[in-house]
Amino acid sequence: MLRSVYLKTLRDRWLGAAIGVVALFLVAWMGIAAFSGMDDAAEFIEAMPEAYLSITGISSEGGVVGMMLSNMFNFMGPFVVAGLGVSMAAAAIAGEEVDGTMNVLGAAPRSRSRLLASKALAAATVVVATAIAASLSYALAASLPGEDLTGVNLTAATVHLVVVALLFAAVALAIGAATGNRAMASAVSVGLIVVSFFVAGILPLVPGWEDVAKASPWYWLNGPAPMLNGVDWAPLLVLLAIAGVLVALAFVGVNRRDLGSGAVRAPLMDRLRADPRLGRAVALVSGAGSTRGIAAKALTDVRALVLIGGAFVAFQSLVVAVLFNAIGADIGDLVSSMPDAILAMIGFVDMSTPEGFLSGEVLSIVAPLVTILVGVNAGAALVGEERRRTSSVLLVMPVSRAGVAWRKAVAVGIGPVVVGVFVAAGFALGNAVGGLGMSYGGVLAAGVMVAALGWFFGALAFAIGGVTGRAQSATAGTGGLAVLAWGANAFLPVNPDYASWARLSPLHWYAHDNPLESGVAWDGLALLAGLAAVLVAVGVAGYARRDLRG
Amino acid sequence: MTATPSIEVDHLTKRYGDVTAVDDVSLAIHPGEIFGFLGPNGAGKSTTIRTLLDLIRPTSGECRILGLDSRRDAVEIHRRIGFLPADLALWPNLTGRQTLEYLAHLRGGVDWAWVDALAERLGADLSPKVGEYSSGNRQKVGILQAFMHRPDVVILDEPITGLDPLVQLEFHALLRETADAGGTVFLSSHTISEVERVADRVGFIRRGHLIAVERMSELHDKALRRITLEFASPVPADAFAGVEGVREASAEGVTVTAQYEGSMAPLLQVATAHDVLSVSSASVDLDEIFLAFYRDEVAAAGDDPDAPSHAPAGAA
Repeated sequence: MLRSVYLKTLRDRWLGAAIGVVALFLVAWMGIAAFSGMDDAAEFIEAMPEAYLSITGISSEGGVVGMMLSNMFNFMGPFVVAGLGVSMAAAAIAGEEVDGTMNVLGAAPRSRSRLLASKALAAATVVVATAIAASLSYALAASLPGEDLTGVNLTAATVHLVVVALLFAAVALAIGAATGNRAMASAVSVGLIVVSFFVAGILPLVPGWEDVAKASPWYWLNGPAPMLNGVDWAPLLVLLAIAGVLVALAFVGVNRRDLGSGAVRAPLMDRLRADPRLGRAVALVSGAGSTRGIAAKALTDVRALVLIGGAFVAFQSLVVAVLFNAIGADIGDLVSSMPDAILAMIGFVDMSTPEGFLSGEVLSIVAPLVTILVGVNAGAALVGEERRRTSSVLLVMPVSRAGVAWRKAVAVGIGPVVVGVFVAAGFALGNAVGGLGMSYGGVLAAGVMVAALGWFFGALAFAIGGVTGRAQSATAGTGGLAVLAWGANAFLPVNPDYASWARLSPLHWYAHDNPLESGVAWDGLALLAGLAAVLVAVGVAGYARRDLRG
Repeated sequence: MTATPSIEVDHLTKRYGDVTAVDDVSLAIHPGEIFGFLGPNGAGKSTTIRTLLDLIRPTSGECRILGLDSRRDAVEIHRRIGFLPADLALWPNLTGRQTLEYLAHLRGGVDWAWVDALAERLGADLSPKVGEYSSGNRQKVGILQAFMHRPDVVILDEPITGLDPLVQLEFHALLRETADAGGTVFLSSHTISEVERVADRVGFIRRGHLIAVERMSELHDKALRRITLEFASPVPADAFAGVEGVREASAEGVTVTAQYEGSMAPLLQVATAHDVLSVSSASVDLDEIFLAFYRDEVAAAGDDPDAPSHAPAGAA
């Protein structure tokens, strides 16, 4: 262990972790406050079917707090905590290599193993500290509206969360340490997180497949209902053992290879690209990088994200459509017996109809996530040129400041549209294959609304970056606002007293009515597209006016 | 020399909050000139350049390039200049050739035969990705993009960083050809030997103040030289004070170092009165010439002229 490396790594990351905790606290607080303000909260929880309570780990004694917290521990919390762990673990050694700082660090009279141990321990520290801080903040969130934590085992849920997050971080650590490729380490680990989230969420609904879900690490966040039953140590020890093996592999890997020095190397990708059969497909997805102009290059820069994210949503749309065909009747029974308030989390949709089920499974979480990701990536690209200091070369070309900014904004316009096309295509295909009989006008409308949501958040990142010149404010600021907007739209509407505040959230205008049923929400579309246009104009004006960094 | 200056800086001031990075700097550079811009780290060289390019905006004052206003006519100026930034950053996922293609498209096309000849001349391999380049090869791509459209004015910020000596020679020949063809070269550097080798005129900036601008030939005429004398026993520096031609003398143990101009004879007469063991003499670096001749200006800029310069001394 190297104390200085450990402390520096913590210092580099504490702010990101703190922002994550604050965002989680705010969402939990909004949710608990909204639910607790309702007179019939206790009644409707007791009215819920036993099956649902056991799946979500809610005890009737846990009340509204338990219900809200099970959401925090099974959905938002793990994404934030595991995401932090993965990002730190992937960068443990590979990050220093990509930044070129490994040349200095690696020449210090300390072994690679000790370096890796310090970095890994720092990542574990942040995972544990973030999880504990978030849990403490939930207790605060519950006490503010006067609720208490009776019947909710916060400690056990935290232990489960920490173990699962450490496992995902260990995957990233092993890949990053063994290959030196930070991008690959985080991409594979995040992919694993997303896949395991869906496996754990969808398979238990399919008769005969319930046990397969146990192969997903995500399942162990809530499968044994730790909030109700306390810590289930046996599976956690298995997960920890797997994580231990992965960490050991990381130590072996980092000591056996050459260290990189700032070079962006992807030997695997290069090998794939050289393969005559796969080369074209790989080049198409990863992007050879168009050099025709600023707009073309901006588009090819987000192409990989657009294609992979879009294909993922389309695939999910298709799977969910077919799944509804298989289990539609069962889900209808289960859901129809639930009070409307529970359904707020998935946007008040009626899960017993195909339109409602697809909206709840795809349009409420995954499609917004992908389109916002694409939009923000495209929007932050302008300020990214400053962070990478390439603006000193680009901005001395005979193109005006505003001209460069407008061209970069083209990707903000087109990227989310492509995601929308993927969503609509997935729905259309699922509609045809599953014979669901949805209106194709609604399918198209869903794609349009997804695009509009991406425009808004992309334009927001563009405006923040254009005006401030700070890349991190553009991405992290927009990301934080997106999380808050999602939470406000999901939880405020359950309480009629707060419901109108949800109108402040862009997510409200994206899907206040299910577009699969009611078509394009013209007011929402006009508002999102109009605000996006204004934000882009603000970004261009700010960019043209200020000193460039870098 | 009577035509419109290629580069004109007019009472330029740039402040960042309380910090004044550039303070009331004025200078003019003419077609056919190689202008060396010399100063220690943080003196305001890059700030001046970034203002010329409209990457940042003046707090007060203005700049003109080729008679055009640096803010209002930035696009037209960019069309006719080439720029190589200090600590060059490029897009790591593009190859060297793709980088040049990208920038060439933004310039509306270039003469590729000229670019290829230039690449050949500098020994630049354009096929690897920029992220895989050594810093020297990346710098070659930077030079190529600055010269590829045959600009009227090139602005270069620490251009020889990472280049091997042979490529440096080739690059300096390119600068001379550019100037001989009527172009203008603005060369910012803290490498004194480079400026001495190629510049026609030199501006010396310190703490945001332009201390002086001198013709290179006149600087050499000032012919300030340094002599180091080693004696058998310590000799006080005072022994050389007031001797004709001696500007400055200091003693450390048995060694006396003095700067002088003109004939060495009066100094040697004084020296030989003592037991001289060895004598060595060398030209004085540009930096020291400036410090010797412009002590008052340097002091007025808030700097201690007797403190050692930050700039590394290059061989004359």
